[in-house]
Amino acid sequence: MEDVKKPMGWKELYLKEDWWAIYLGLGIVIAAIAFFYTGNPFLKSLSVLPPSWTDSSKLVGHFSSKIGWYALQFIFWFIIFSISTRILGFRQSEYIPSFIFLYILSIVTLIIGEYEPLSKNGFEAPLVALILGLAISNIVKLPKWMDAGFRVEYYIKTGIVLLGATLPFTLIIWAGPIAFMQATIISVVTCLTIYFVAHKLFGLDKRFGAVLGVGAAICGVSAAIAVGGAVKAKKEHVSITIALVTVWAIVMIFFIPYFSKFLNLQPAPVGAWVGSSEFADAAGFAAAVAYGKMVGNEEAAVRAFTLMKVIGRDIWLGIWSFAFALIACLKWEKEECETAPKASEIWWRFPKFVLGFFIASVIITVIASQYSLAEFDKVIKPELVKPIKSLRSWAFIFCFLSIGLTTRFRELASAGKKPFWAFTIGVIVNVILGFVLSVLVMGNFWISKTAQ
Amino acid sequence: MTCRDCRYFNNDPAFLEREFAGLNALSSAYGTARGEDGICSKRSLYLSPAKQCKDFVPLDTVKSLND
Repeated sequence: MEDVKKPMGWKELYLKEDWWAIYLGLGIVIAAIAFFYTGNPFLKSLSVLPPSWTDSSKLVGHFSSKIGWYALQFIFWFIIFSISTRILGFRQSEYIPSFIFLYILSIVTLIIGEYEPLSKNGFEAPLVALILGLAISNIVKLPKWMDAGFRVEYYIKTGIVLLGATLPFTLIIWAGPIAFMQATIISVVTCLTIYFVAHKLFGLDKRFGAVLGVGAAICGVSAAIAVGGAVKAKKEHVSITIALVTVWAIVMIFFIPYFSKFLNLQPAPVGAWVGSSEFADAAGFAAAVAYGKMVGNEEAAVRAFTLMKVIGRDIWLGIWSFAFALIACLKWEKEECETAPKASEIWWRFPKFVLGFFIASVIITVIASQYSLAEFDKVIKPELVKPIKSLRSWAFIFCFLSIGLTTRFRELASAGKKPFWAFTIGVIVNVILGFVLSVLVMGNFWISKTAQ
Repeated sequence: MTCRDCRYFNNDPAFLEREFAGLNALSSAYGTARGEDGICSKRSLYLSPAKQCKDFVPLDTVKSLND
């Protein structure tokens, strides 16, 4: 209990998964650079992925020749994740068997997702992972202790840091402000809609309205718990918001890609739409990657999504949280608020993995600037960027499977009609506004920017 | 004295993920966004450890009871 008594402060450098995602992600980037400059193909071989296939003999041939690299790759992930999760406080007797299960299931998922008759019909690996995970957790029912290995956020944060290495920093500088403005318009409208419907129309508690509002407007469950703590929300209100965010996020993972496919939309505007209208990073990446793969241009969808979600929404979480803490303290609980919230909370709540994302982007952009475009395509892409991208695909698959494996619908709190409708009205406003701004108004901007 | 030193306050991440069903499905109690917020079992609130209230009971009370 001693740790609980003192503020964590800089101990978060080893007690929060954001920092571990940075260490792991940047560690991979630095290793990739070292192997690239020394001409060593080790990381390229280690980042092996199952190929697209229709004939099973191709698959058998692939695994026969690469089985040793899969074993090494497993050992690589296993060592890093088990050391870091041990320091974070997970029991290794739970984490280790769970991660072994997750890795094997990831290979199965990738094999299914790469089967061309399925993948060409919109049944891509991210969606396969979700469906498989949801089926296992809701029908087969794995023991609860296995959640130790299904670390959705740790895997997605690692994937986002790796993603930074494939995103030019100049793109972040040029498109970031637009993403911020667009995302802020949608976030503010969504949050205020839910707050007013919940509080003014349905008479729900102000704090509950705020938690529901940011749950849909900023970054889903993470925003709900950040603002929930800041405004001193009732525990059950946080539980209900988590349930609503989770259900709607799962719905959107399937709705946005298939609806976009129906309209035959370009991947970049859809990525931006997902970025402004999906509720959580992990769910959003699943939708963006799925649609990108469906239309054969994953990078455009993922880039636009990342700019909108990470730059436009995630990094402002601390400010939203601080603003609501001030409102709660100065307006909602004048008598009880003895200590005003400190601005330093903005830093402590900042999603630190984003720093790793920026650093990775800067490093690779500086290296790439020393080469011509032709050299970049011929040398940098296959020898430096591709291994990072392949390992990112693994981190994403771990994450997408973990979403399904930890989403147990029967365990989620039941919401009641008023919170459900307040949130749902916000979701409808959010999705329509996101579509109008990302696809109809700014569609060409996202297509041109992500093509660079 | 603040919630951080109160026996009713618990912000252990594993405890929070057990209490909030679905928290680990799309988020995490181990991320920086949560800060150090935790649950007050006395008032069923989710709040910052910097908060204060009249129901405060020092952690030492738990120790002395256990001793």
